[in-house]
Amino acid sequence: MTTIDLNLIGAKGALVEEAEGKWGMVIDQDLCTGCQACVTACAMENNIGFVGEEDAGYGRSMHWIRIERFWEGEYPHVKMTHYQPMLCQQCGKAPCEPVCPAFATVHSQAEQVNVQVYNRCVGTRYCANNCPYQVRSFNWRDYTDERINAAIATLKNQFNPDVTVRRRGIMEKCSFCIQRIHKAQDKAKSENREVADGEFTTACAQACPADAIVFGRVDNPESAVAQLIAQGHGVHHLEELGTLPRVTYLVGGQ
Amino acid sequence: MTNEKSLLAVFSDLEPAADAIEQLRHLGIHDDCMNVISGVPVTEAMLGRPHQWTNVPRLAMGGAILGMATGIFLAFVSPTSYEIQVGGQGFAPVPVSIVVMFELTMLGMLLSTFLGVFLDSYFPNYRPMHYVPEVSDGKIAVLIECPQADEQKITDALKKLGAESVQMAEAQHL
Amino acid sequence: MSDKHQHNPEEHFREQHLMLDPMPRGKMNDMVMDSMNTTSWKFWVVFAILSAVVAWGLFYSWGKMILEGLGIAGVNRPSYWGIFLVNTVFWIGISHAGTFISAILRVFKAEFRRPFTRAAELMTTFGLVQAGFSIFMHMGRVWLSYWLMPYPNQRGLWPNFHSPLSWDLLAITTYLLSSTMYLFLPLIPDMAMARDRSTGWRKTFYKILALGFRGTEGEWTHLRNAMNIFAFAIIPVMFSVHTIVSWDFAMATRPGWSSTIFGPYFVVGALHSGMGAVVIVLGVVRATMKNMKYFIRPEHFEAIGKLMLIISMTWAYFFFNDYIVQWYGGDKWTKTLLHFHEAGPMGWMWFGMLICNIAIPWAVLWNRKWRSTPWIVGTVGLFINFGMWFERYIIIPVSLSINRMPFTWRMYQPGVEIPLGIGTLAFFILLYMAASRLIPLIPVWEVQEGQMAHTLTKFGRETVVTVSELE
Repeated sequence: MTTIDLNLIGAKGALVEEAEGKWGMVIDQDLCTGCQACVTACAMENNIGFVGEEDAGYGRSMHWIRIERFWEGEYPHVKMTHYQPMLCQQCGKAPCEPVCPAFATVHSQAEQVNVQVYNRCVGTRYCANNCPYQVRSFNWRDYTDERINAAIATLKNQFNPDVTVRRRGIMEKCSFCIQRIHKAQDKAKSENREVADGEFTTACAQACPADAIVFGRVDNPESAVAQLIAQGHGVHHLEELGTLPRVTYLVGGQ
Repeated sequence: MTNEKSLLAVFSDLEPAADAIEQLRHLGIHDDCMNVISGVPVTEAMLGRPHQWTNVPRLAMGGAILGMATGIFLAFVSPTSYEIQVGGQGFAPVPVSIVVMFELTMLGMLLSTFLGVFLDSYFPNYRPMHYVPEVSDGKIAVLIECPQADEQKITDALKKLGAESVQMAEAQHL
Repeated sequence: MSDKHQHNPEEHFREQHLMLDPMPRGKMNDMVMDSMNTTSWKFWVVFAILSAVVAWGLFYSWGKMILEGLGIAGVNRPSYWGIFLVNTVFWIGISHAGTFISAILRVFKAEFRRPFTRAAELMTTFGLVQAGFSIFMHMGRVWLSYWLMPYPNQRGLWPNFHSPLSWDLLAITTYLLSSTMYLFLPLIPDMAMARDRSTGWRKTFYKILALGFRGTEGEWTHLRNAMNIFAFAIIPVMFSVHTIVSWDFAMATRPGWSSTIFGPYFVVGALHSGMGAVVIVLGVVRATMKNMKYFIRPEHFEAIGKLMLIISMTWAYFFFNDYIVQWYGGDKWTKTLLHFHEAGPMGWMWFGMLICNIAIPWAVLWNRKWRSTPWIVGTVGLFINFGMWFERYIIIPVSLSINRMPFTWRMYQPGVEIPLGIGTLAFFILLYMAASRLIPLIPVWEVQEGQMAHTLTKFGRETVVTVSELE
């Protein structure tokens, strides 16, 4: 029987089946208190530069995860809605991927996440325009250089050696703490076993005091993430776009 | 040395030039020994000259095929070495490849047309050549190669038909 | 007026139409060489000012931006693209006019194109240079832009041909090379003419560029054959280039961008702004260069004005197509975006766009007398260019402000893009001024060819223009 390599003739379906993927996340918007511990932890884990007041006010903050706050109604009858932690959804069919002319953002076939290759990025920013979740951050200046940003001078001492420090002109975004994934996989491999669920987690999930963020293998039905998803109360944001996001949001009672 | 002489006759208008060429044919000058130099393109038919062949269309077609081949290579063959998955699209989807193939086909065609002009006309050519600057002022010059014996006869005939000047053609730097 | 017409129809025609007012070729050559070789002190003053503007606006500001990063520009989240892209699309649009005039009008045998094909083609080449600058400006790490080329390397790197930006690279390279070649081919005989009439450094310059052209039958045949192929082939290239540029936006998932009509809409928009720019350039050339009043006459403005009106109507058709389909669909994000266009802080620009692109041309260009007045058509052209720049500004930074994540909605405020944009405009004018004194602006051989083909014939009592098909 002849087999046709569906990848080569461009059949999207073939790739989608595989794209059910490995790593995923569940964010419980009911539990989230909006404390921004996840934002801080992510910034410290991933060597994210501080942009300063002026640039932050102009929409240039570099945070890979942000807490979105909304309200309903007119003052004084205003009601808060759920806090919405928004981060890279690691889409199965990421709109950011095909538009990069330099192949700087591609789908990793090993971890099944959307990876950003810093040293290939030439900074056209088409990926950021095409991201429906607007979760990509661009290095508008050398934010990690103390000549630009004096505050960085001492904060550099806490930079994570496992993560690259990006210079100006490069796009970046949440990587599901891929450095932690690799570290855990390496350790498990050297001990000749699989990575256990809960053995490690992403910085944001680790820091959350309300345990609103759960991270793990979605293709392993025993994992905490898979069990939460299996309960069936989760939603995908902007589902109608067909991006197949890997982050499920639990938005319950209101 | 041969006893072929090169004459350059300058005419100020189309009619006398056409008459002259006809007369030259009667006088035994073959079409191949004549060449017309003009400041505006006058078609061969106007002067009663044989059709001029050109390789430019064939070169254009060849260039288009080369361009299309390059496009096909870039679009379908090169991704086999770089199997990078992006956005759930296949590695070599057809709609995308059509854009690449079209542009490279057109580029191939146009580049080879341009180079075809150079090749066919032996451009750039900075050697001394038979020419008179009056040509770019709208005169029509007829360059004739004739045996020495006939030189006087031809000169008289052309002068009678209204040539402004008939002189020995000297190859000079343009 | 009618008296004059009846007693002297020939005189009337001769005055109005360049093609019916032939002069000896030598005299026309003289006029063109004269206008090329003459520079007044005013020319040099403007040249110096423009050079200073280019040095500050283009080279200094760009150098600063490369060193400091795009932070000194106005782009942010969500408007990752701003005026750099607006300028890129604008300049590519301007460049399409040149191809329209030299290729499409040639294919349709519109004889009035003859004197200004080269002036228009120069706009194409120089406009593409500015577009190239603008697109390189917007890159975060422009010094690595060569990575977008497919070249063999040892790091396993290859460009992504799925990306509209890669198509852009191929398309704009093809178009730049093609239009430069198409500019050069008809220039060769005029270079030969200039070579025959110059001395000194100019003679060497023209001699090299003339490639030894004499005007033999063979040379003319090859040249005209090639020009025919170019004229027909460069039209699909032209269409494809601006379509591919429009696909930079249409392939994106943004509300307002993911529109299937962007392809033809942008092509028509390019012609719109381009034709407007052509009349401005022709008006300036006619007013500032010697002897140009013989070659470029009110009849040409009248003809281009007619084309401008038709293109304006076509643009309105495509704009309305895009608008009504978006409006009718009722998608909440698209409706919010449309409302933001009309009633948001940049609403004045949206209305300005409609007034400049539709209202003004339709109000002015229907009148034959106004169309024949260079300064009126030129002013309409200027308004159209403003309108089309507004249109691209609305499509890029203003539309980017509204997306599906309301928490990120934010206005775009241009920073260093302004001096850089002014720098590209100044550079365009500077290049044009330099070219106007280095190469003959009028393709004299084509004008003579046209004059040879035009005669006045009497049909009964009426004197009419007859054009023979000499090719």
